[in-house]
Amino acid sequence: MKIRARDRFAAERRDMPWIDDILKRLAAETAWSYRAGGTLAAEPLSLAALALAGHGHIADSRRACQRLASLANADGSVGPKLGEPAPGWPTGLAVLAWTALANKTPDPFADFSKRGVAWLLASSGETSPRNADIGHDSSLRGWPWVQGTHSWIEPTAINVLALKATGRNEHPRTREAVRLLIDRLLPEGGCNYGNTTVFGQALRPHLEPSGLALAALTGEGDASGRIERTIAYLEQTLNRETTSLSLAYGLIGLAAHDRTPRVAEAWLESAAGRGGREAAPYKQALLALAALKGECPLIALSRTLVGSDGCQQRRSPGTHS
Amino acid sequence: MTTHIPAAPHSADSPPTLDRRALLVGGGAVVAGLGGYQLLKPLWQPHSSVFIAKGQRYDGPIEQTILDGLLAGGLDPRALAGRKVLLKVNLVEPTRTAPQVTTHPAMVLATAEVFRRWGAQVVVGEASGHMRDTEMALVESGMAPALDSAGLEFVDLNYEDVAWVKNAGRTSKLDGFYLPRPVMEADLIVSMPKLKTHHWVGLTVSLKNMYGVLPGIKYGWPKNVLHHAGIPQTVFDINASLPKTIAVVDGIVGMEGDGPIMGSPKKLGLIVVGTNLAAVDATCARIIGLDPARVNYLQLSADRIGPIAEGRIAQRGEDWRQVASPFVLLDRPELQRLRLAPGVCVS
Repeated sequence: MKIRARDRFAAERRDMPWIDDILKRLAAETAWSYRAGGTLAAEPLSLAALALAGHGHIADSRRACQRLASLANADGSVGPKLGEPAPGWPTGLAVLAWTALANKTPDPFADFSKRGVAWLLASSGETSPRNADIGHDSSLRGWPWVQGTHSWIEPTAINVLALKATGRNEHPRTREAVRLLIDRLLPEGGCNYGNTTVFGQALRPHLEPSGLALAALTGEGDASGRIERTIAYLEQTLNRETTSLSLAYGLIGLAAHDRTPRVAEAWLESAAGRGGREAAPYKQALLALAALKGECPLIALSRTLVGSDGCQQRRSPGTHS
Repeated sequence: MTTHIPAAPHSADSPPTLDRRALLVGGGAVVAGLGGYQLLKPLWQPHSSVFIAKGQRYDGPIEQTILDGLLAGGLDPRALAGRKVLLKVNLVEPTRTAPQVTTHPAMVLATAEVFRRWGAQVVVGEASGHMRDTEMALVESGMAPALDSAGLEFVDLNYEDVAWVKNAGRTSKLDGFYLPRPVMEADLIVSMPKLKTHHWVGLTVSLKNMYGVLPGIKYGWPKNVLHHAGIPQTVFDINASLPKTIAVVDGIVGMEGDGPIMGSPKKLGLIVVGTNLAAVDATCARIIGLDPARVNYLQLSADRIGPIAEGRIAQRGEDWRQVASPFVLLDRPELQRLRLAPGVCVS
């Protein structure tokens, strides 16, 4: 995946020097953080590693992954920041970053990835019987932000991507979490942090979780039409002014369903040129990832399954599982 | 004048912070020598004052109103010179189609200007409860251009480094809280909520607004850890564990019905200011037609964080009865039972 991306995007980047600027900054970072001048955090670090790998900067990605490995706990989980070993919600992102380098020989992060996946499979959100006041099916298991609490959209989507990327598309936890994600999409399309209706009132969708959920739902069928309506929501709502995080995840979500808008590159370049709060390594990494379109490792890895014969197979979007 | 002094969180690396009493001038019994958070005996309960201004508009002279309110509450401007003031706004889930969800930017700019005029270092902060894209929250709420125009720094409390503080309230199962460094370092935290109904606990004002000082990276989006530990209990515990706090409430346009997110705008034209959050919230409850003694987290806060009994709250500015305007609540028995008893006289 990475070699193909490197070849393809080396040519395209001639017209997108902003990506090279971002990659240089990410490669030179020592504290991949949520804001400029912030402290090292696992999520920005994982996304930087993925962006660097996706754009073919393997050595820089390996360095970021090594740093990520230093944040791993003995139980396989990864906490949000250096010195903050819990909660373990960034673990799925770390697994994705390590997996992006997995076809290198030898795979230097295989053990970290294996233990991370084991931790993910041993953890889950709290469930409860269905409640008439709440629109979603609270009996479905996904993943919480913090152990001992309910499952929500973003951690569940991240971990679905991680399990798919590590060849566990058909794992019961993946399948249940996919059902959860579709169940949490709003009837009119899009989603928020993970509630659909409360006391009969439909809640509002937001771009960032909608894009991330769509990314995790790459290749999934949906008879309810909610996935298609979520795609439509993103297509109608994303624009040149959309903030970086939402724009990047929105475009990644659309790319996961082969619906990248033609103006996506111009929007991304515009976002990359913003300063101030938008010029954080975290957001820059996401913009670089979104520029990879269908080759973005977040989704490309999920579309690559290891078959029973051990060979990697490409899944096409829309495949029913 | 409030006299309850919640202890500042203890942390080995936390900087020395301003004693709350140094911020307050004027009358009222001060319980001296409190080394930490204590439950005060009823006999010792202090009185507090709450300032209410009516007829307010976002494009009106609200800076003067807020200044008047803070002075009426006993805040000493001389004690604020050089101090760090954090304006904790409510950006739980902003959308430009429903501005009644979030604190209006005009309120923030006006409050910031008051404290800047007094020589304080002002930052604005929030840990948005439902949105990970903080820039989107700032844009949708109208806060981004407002802060930029005033040169005000925004601190994203969801992602800042944290320090752990002991739970000084101890009504929930939580042993302590992770507080972002800007919260720990603030000499004064100004809770700047929107006055709204809340479909789980009745109303959300300055105490509940403090959920938004806890970082998403430790509590999630939403902060489900707190829900699982009990909303009333954690509202109380967080406020009991925070350093110095006061409140400036945006009641110019509030939210009624299905708050705190999906409710309808309710024009009140009010700004409510006070140096004790329990007293402020109890007054706001009365204004919107709720009995503070029936609101669980106010019950817990009563005579511990501050007074909620009407007789212990001195009204400055307008009397709450003159500005009361009952809010629509969802038609649910657990909410309807919060209403002030029939016969409570409001104009």
